[in-house]
Amino acid sequence: MSAPVLQMHNITKTFPGVLANDDVSFDVHAGEVHTLLGENGAGKSTLMKILFGLYQPDSGQILLRGQQANITSPTDAIEKRVGMVHQHFMLVPTLTVAENVALGLPSSRGLRTDLDAVSERIASISEQYGLSVDPGVEIWKLSVGERQRVEIIKALYRDAELLVLDEPTAVLTPQEVDDLFVILRQMTAADTAIIFISHKLHEVMELSDRITVLRNGRVTGHTTPAETSRQQLADLMVGREVKLAPDKPPVDLGLVRLKLRGVTVKGDRGTIAVDNVDLDVHAGEILGVAGVSGNGQRELAETIAGLRPAEAGSVQLDDTDLSKANPAQSRAAGLSYVPEERMKDGAVGEFDVSENLLLINHGEKRFLRNGLFNFDAIKSHCQQLVDDFAVKTPSLSTPTSSLSGGNIQKVIMARELESSPAVLVAAQPTRGVDIGAAEYIHSQLVKQRSDGVAIVMISEDLDEVLGLADRIAVMFEGRIVKIVDRENATKDQLGLAMAGAG
Amino acid sequence: MAAPLAFEKRESPLRGGQVRAFIVGVVIALLLGSILLLVSGHSPVEVYAKMFDSAFGSKRGISTTLTRAVPLGLAGLAVAVAGSMGLWNIGAEGQIIAGAIGAAWIARLGPDLPGPVLITLMLVAAVVGGGFLALGPALAKSRLGVNEIITTLMLNEVAIRVVRYLVNGPWKDPEGNNFPIAPELPEQAALPALFERSNIGLLIGAVVLLAFGVYTARSAWGYELRIAGSSEKAATYAGISLKAKIFTVLLLSGAIAGLAGGIELTGSSDRLVEGVANGWGYAGIIVAALALMRPSGVAAVAVAFGAVQVGGLSIQTLGVPAAIASILQALILFGALSAAVFTNYKLVRRSARSTAPAVAS
Repeated sequence: MSAPVLQMHNITKTFPGVLANDDVSFDVHAGEVHTLLGENGAGKSTLMKILFGLYQPDSGQILLRGQQANITSPTDAIEKRVGMVHQHFMLVPTLTVAENVALGLPSSRGLRTDLDAVSERIASISEQYGLSVDPGVEIWKLSVGERQRVEIIKALYRDAELLVLDEPTAVLTPQEVDDLFVILRQMTAADTAIIFISHKLHEVMELSDRITVLRNGRVTGHTTPAETSRQQLADLMVGREVKLAPDKPPVDLGLVRLKLRGVTVKGDRGTIAVDNVDLDVHAGEILGVAGVSGNGQRELAETIAGLRPAEAGSVQLDDTDLSKANPAQSRAAGLSYVPEERMKDGAVGEFDVSENLLLINHGEKRFLRNGLFNFDAIKSHCQQLVDDFAVKTPSLSTPTSSLSGGNIQKVIMARELESSPAVLVAAQPTRGVDIGAAEYIHSQLVKQRSDGVAIVMISEDLDEVLGLADRIAVMFEGRIVKIVDRENATKDQLGLAMAGAG
Repeated sequence: MAAPLAFEKRESPLRGGQVRAFIVGVVIALLLGSILLLVSGHSPVEVYAKMFDSAFGSKRGISTTLTRAVPLGLAGLAVAVAGSMGLWNIGAEGQIIAGAIGAAWIARLGPDLPGPVLITLMLVAAVVGGGFLALGPALAKSRLGVNEIITTLMLNEVAIRVVRYLVNGPWKDPEGNNFPIAPELPEQAALPALFERSNIGLLIGAVVLLAFGVYTARSAWGYELRIAGSSEKAATYAGISLKAKIFTVLLLSGAIAGLAGGIELTGSSDRLVEGVANGWGYAGIIVAALALMRPSGVAAVAVAFGAVQVGGLSIQTLGVPAAIASILQALILFGALSAAVFTNYKLVRRSARSTAPAVAS
C-alpha cells in the first residue's frame, strides 16, 4: 500500500491552561473517508487548523504523501492539495459559481481571468462527480446543498487530494445528506481522501471507512463502523455511558395551554414566512416541529415569544392573546423561550455568566437595593442556577462566549425555566451542543413535560424529534404540512414531508 | 519561507489586557515622541521631566491639570455613555458650543440675578442647550434609523456657524474693539474658586463623572445600556425598548457635553468666544475610546490627557512646539489601540515543528 495521503504524528498543541491536542496521531489513505468524531472542545478543529496552517503545533509532525510538510498558511495548504469545506460557506452571493471558483486563483491575479476556461473545467468536474452545478448561475439563486457543492468544486478545482468537510451535514435536509454522501462516495472512488468531521452518530456509521474519536484533546479510539456501534461511539466521545434517547415517563395530557389559529407572519424580507398555522399544545406534551431551517420555524417561534408581530391570526396562551404582545408581556403570560441563535438572540457573548442569567429579570425587586444592583443577592441567585443546571463554568464572572455551546445553552435554559413557565418554546435546543450537554438538556425537557409544561420543540434533527416528541408537526415553506403522533411517525415519511414531498 | 513570526489568536482574551494596553500605549508614545524630540534637537528626558513637573509638580500645576480634565472628562463621558450602547456621538464639540451659548444667553437675559441663581440657571441652560443640539440626531436615529455619526458630526458645523454669527452679529461686544467676542459676563456669573486655578466646576465634573460611573456600572439602567449595545435581539427579548433607549441616551449624551460648555464658560472664560469648545469635544472621543466606552474609566484618562496638554504647553519655554502635546496624545491612542491587539492575539514563532524528531516514512 502506498503512503497515506496524510499522516499527523503525535500532534500536541497547548493554549494557556488548555491542552487542545495531546499526542494526536491519525492518518488518511487515498480513497477513504476518515471521520473525526468528538464533542465541541475535543480538539477536532484545533487539529484541522493545524493541518490548515492556522496554528503551529507545539510538537509532532505532518506528512503529506509520506513527505514531511511544513504548512504555514491556508494558501500553503491549498498549494499542497489540501482542501477544506467550511461549515459556513465562503462564497460571494452576487457572483456566479465560476467567478467564485476563480476568486483567488493564481491566474485571476493577473489582469483578467479566463472565465470560460474556468467554467469548462467546473462543468467537467461537476460531471465527473455528479455534482450537477451550473457554472454560470449566481450563488444567491442556489440552495444550501448546492452552495456546499460549489465549495467542494472550489477544492477539487484546486486539485485537492485531501478534502476536509467540517460538519457538512449540519445545514442539509436528510435527502440532501443522502445526495452528499453519494457525491463523497464518488470522490473516494476517484481516490480522493476525505476527512469528515461530525458528531451525528448515524451519519458517521453510514459514511466512514475509519473513525477516530477524540475527547479532551486526546484520541480515545480508532475504529471502523463494522467494529463499533452508535452507543459505543457516544461513550467514547463522552467518556462515560450515555443515554442516547431519554426515558419518557407517561404523562397525562393536560389542557391546551398554547393555541395558534391562522397565524401568518412575515419574515425579515417582508415575504410570508409563516402561512396560516394552527397548532394546539397541551400541558404535559412535547410537540416536535420538524423541518429544514428556513421554512418558517424561527419566525413562528419569535411570534410566540413576542419578538415578531403576527400579520394575522391569534396566539393564545391560556386566555391571553399574544399575537401582538412584546416579549415582556409574553413572559408575564407564562411563556419561556430558548432561541435558535443562542449567541445572538439568547445571550450576550461578552457578558459574564451572571449577567446573562439576569438578562430577562434584572429589573425585579429582589436584585435591587436603593435603586442599585444588590450584587450579593444576584450572586447567590446565579450560583443557585449554575448549580441547579450543572453549568460548567470557572466562575460567575467568566465571559459567556468562552463557555461551550452546551453550557451556554444550560445558562439560557436555567434562566428561562427559573420562572416555572406554562409554555416553553425551545428552538434547536441541542444544535451544536455536545452529547453530554444534549443528554442533560433532553432530560430537562422531559422533566418539564412531567411537570405539566406545554413544550414546543423546534428541531432539524429528526433523531431528536423522534426521541423526545409526543406529536410531530412538519413545517415546509411556512405551513404545517403534516402532523402525526409519535407512534405513527417514521423517519422516511418525515424526511419526505420536510422536503415538501409528503 | 514565510516570516518567522506570526499572529495567533488567543484561546481567550488576556485578562486585564486593556489596562496593560493603555500603559504600553503610553510607553510607546513616549518612546516615539522621544525620537521626534531627538530629531528636533531636544533632550527627551528633560522635556518629559518638565512636562510631568508642570502637570503634577506643584499645587498650581495640579489645579491646571484638573481644570483641563473637567471638560475632557465630561466630553469623554458624553461619548462613553452613548458608546456604552454602541452609539457614536461625534457631536460633543458642537454640543459644548450649544451649552455655552445657552449659558451665555441666560447671562444676557438676567445679568442682575444673584450669583448662585444665575450660575445655576446658566448651567441648566447649558445642559438644555447641549441636549437640544442632540435632539435631532436622537429623533432621527430612534425613529428612522438615521446614522447618528453623520448627524452629530454635521451639527458641529452648524453650532460653530451659529456661535460665529452670534459673536460677529447680535451678541458682538460693542466695546470689544471690533473683535468677534461677546460682552464680558456679569461678575457674579463666574464659578466660585476652589484652589489655585480650580473652581467649583471641578467638583461638579467629579460628581457627575462619579455618579455616572457608579450608576452605569451598578444599575439596571446601565446594564440595559450594555445589553442594547451588544445585541439588538437580546435587548428586545430582555424587554428593553430600543427606540426609547436610543433617544434618551443620545439626548443625555448631548446634555452632558452641554454641561461641559456651561462649566467652561462660567469657570474658565469671562465671555463667549468662537473657540469656546477648544477641541474638547473631539478630544473627548479619544478619552472615551481609551476608557473603552466605560463611564467609570473616563475620569482617569481625562486627568492623564489634561496632564499631557498642560505639559505640552509648558515645554514651549524649552523651545519645543506645543504641537508635540497633540502628537503625544495621538501617539498614546495609536499605541494603546495597537497594543490592544495583543489582548486577543499573540506572536508565535513559525518553525515550531523542528522540535519533533523526523519519522521515516
